[in-house]
Amino acid sequence: MGILVWILQHFWTLLVVGFVALVALRIAWRFRKYGATRAELSYVIRRSPFYLVVLVFCLFAAAPFLIMFMHSFKTDGDLYRRPQPFVYRQEPTLDHIEALFNNTAYLDFIRNSVVVGVAVVIITLILSLPAAYALARLTGRWGERAGILMFLVYLVPPTLLFIPMFRIVVMLGLKDSPWALIVVYPSFTVPFSMWLLQGFFKAVPPELEEAALVDGYNRVEAFLRVVLPLSLPGIVSTIVFTFTLTLHEFIYALVFIADTRQRTLSVGVPTELILGDVYFWQPLLAAALIIAIPVGLAYNLFLDSLVQGFTMGAVKG
Amino acid sequence: MGAIFMSLVELRGIKKYFDKVRAVDGVDLEIDEGEFLVILGPSGCGKTTLMRMIAGLENPTAGQVFIGGADVTALPPRKRGVSMVFQSYALYPHMNVFNNIAFPLKAQRREKKFDRRAIRGKVVDTARLLEIDMLLDRRPRQLSGGQRQRVAIARAMVTQPAVILLDEPLSNLDAKLRANARDELKEFQRSSNITAVFVTHDQIEAMGLGDRIVVMSDGKIQQVGTPQLIYDDPANEFVATFLGSPSMNILRADAWSFGFRPENFLPKTLADNPENSRIFDYYVKRVEYLGSDRLVYGYIRGRDSELTLAKVPSNVRVSLDVDSDYEFAVHNSDIKFFDRVSGQRIEHQDLGGVV
Repeated sequence: MGILVWILQHFWTLLVVGFVALVALRIAWRFRKYGATRAELSYVIRRSPFYLVVLVFCLFAAAPFLIMFMHSFKTDGDLYRRPQPFVYRQEPTLDHIEALFNNTAYLDFIRNSVVVGVAVVIITLILSLPAAYALARLTGRWGERAGILMFLVYLVPPTLLFIPMFRIVVMLGLKDSPWALIVVYPSFTVPFSMWLLQGFFKAVPPELEEAALVDGYNRVEAFLRVVLPLSLPGIVSTIVFTFTLTLHEFIYALVFIADTRQRTLSVGVPTELILGDVYFWQPLLAAALIIAIPVGLAYNLFLDSLVQGFTMGAVKG
Repeated sequence: MGAIFMSLVELRGIKKYFDKVRAVDGVDLEIDEGEFLVILGPSGCGKTTLMRMIAGLENPTAGQVFIGGADVTALPPRKRGVSMVFQSYALYPHMNVFNNIAFPLKAQRREKKFDRRAIRGKVVDTARLLEIDMLLDRRPRQLSGGQRQRVAIARAMVTQPAVILLDEPLSNLDAKLRANARDELKEFQRSSNITAVFVTHDQIEAMGLGDRIVVMSDGKIQQVGTPQLIYDDPANEFVATFLGSPSMNILRADAWSFGFRPENFLPKTLADNPENSRIFDYYVKRVEYLGSDRLVYGYIRGRDSELTLAKVPSNVRVSLDVDSDYEFAVHNSDIKFFDRVSGQRIEHQDLGGVV
């Protein structure tokens, strides 16, 4: 606790010192490797504007996270005192974080979101892996048309669908249960991940599968032993993407579930922490930050193959 | 004879239509055991489609495929006892060389009861035979083109299949490596006595490797025979002009045409049998010096519109000046005659009134 307080109070100083130290280390490393010559110095000077620009963009991208982090620990008095909202003039406090976990159903929201997300990912993979493979390989002209048709389903907005979907959910007796979302979410995650996976499957040369067929395997085995391992990065990024789709879905989650303890993060957090026009900023920001960090990390890990998946489908189509 | 002697692979009336395109249009072919058969033809002639139908990767529109006397037309590739080397080699990028070669063995593990040791032994033996046993831990992308080709062949050989199918396996190698690989491939096939079907568009490969060559064009077999038969005794105008570089000179008459190869078209002073030869007045337009040969461009007097080539070995010291006339001779037996409509070979015609 003492360390956290100290970090928060000297946050900007630490950020600047850390950055300068990193730059100094990098330059020292270069000097050690290539010698501290005049040419080396001029190289460093020539490159520095480039890194300055990069720094500006990094700050821009990190700003939401920094703001969330800085404000989560402020006392009310400190938060609402203008100007200079980005420094601590009163002691940081963990009260709001404690309130988030103790006085709201935040842990239930997380659990519900994870359960829904994992279940939807599993259902989505079971349905979209064979569908995407079929679209990529087994059909001709009609396959492509069918693929476009299915993708159109994804483009129908939930705002049009939530009323009929609600009737179905009530009919199935799933109202006020996360199961309602598990049933409904695949309606948009399946077309999307199918489209994404199709791009990855198309990138696997058909000859590799044919080689497996000649080598003594049937089509399913060829798919499992050759196509699947080769499109693993694509499948993992599809999982990440599907999971985040379920995580930030709002309308269905709002309409189908009225019971607070059954709600997911995307609806539960704003309904619990915004009462009328009163925003409980600190717990709100903390709640967002806590789930944003793992998702952000997952995205960063698989960003390259994700982009690849989109473009492969587009170019080869 | 037919009842006793059964060819290893037999194709009966094979047809393959893609929509309206006749890729393969009625092929009958018998492939004998231990034979190196080359299917040669220009791109798009249906040769690869034919091979894929032997492998079972393509279903024929009509006709039957027999392997080892059994009708395998309806069987999937894995039940045919064939293996294949793809043009791109199709090595599995996510497996190392050992696992690539072991992959077909693992498929047979259940029915043939291979254990781990048996598989390792077979893989290492095959790899040693192809001199790639030091590469077993590498991934395909860490290999050179020639090494990849060897791995692909090893993978195809390791199960000791009845037939090995090779789809232009040398076309991805650079020219120097290719001659070497050709020699090794032939040597390897001869020593293992395996039946090989080799598809190529390269006539030098075909002539050098094949025990027999099948020349294909437009989905049909044009001629089957030994390399020498096909070169010296072509069945029709297509075969005659497709083989040989530069290709055969063809001159048109009314109902037929005739042709002779540039290397048989020599200055009269070099003809070893002038009385059995046909003499032409030849106008030399241009000479290319190719090192071992001189390639002469010109035309026969009275046939100014038909470019006629002569290939004169460089070691014969006959001066050939540009823009001059010479007497050139072709041995009568080297002149081939073809029907103008069907393109088929016909018997000797009287050239008297033509040239």
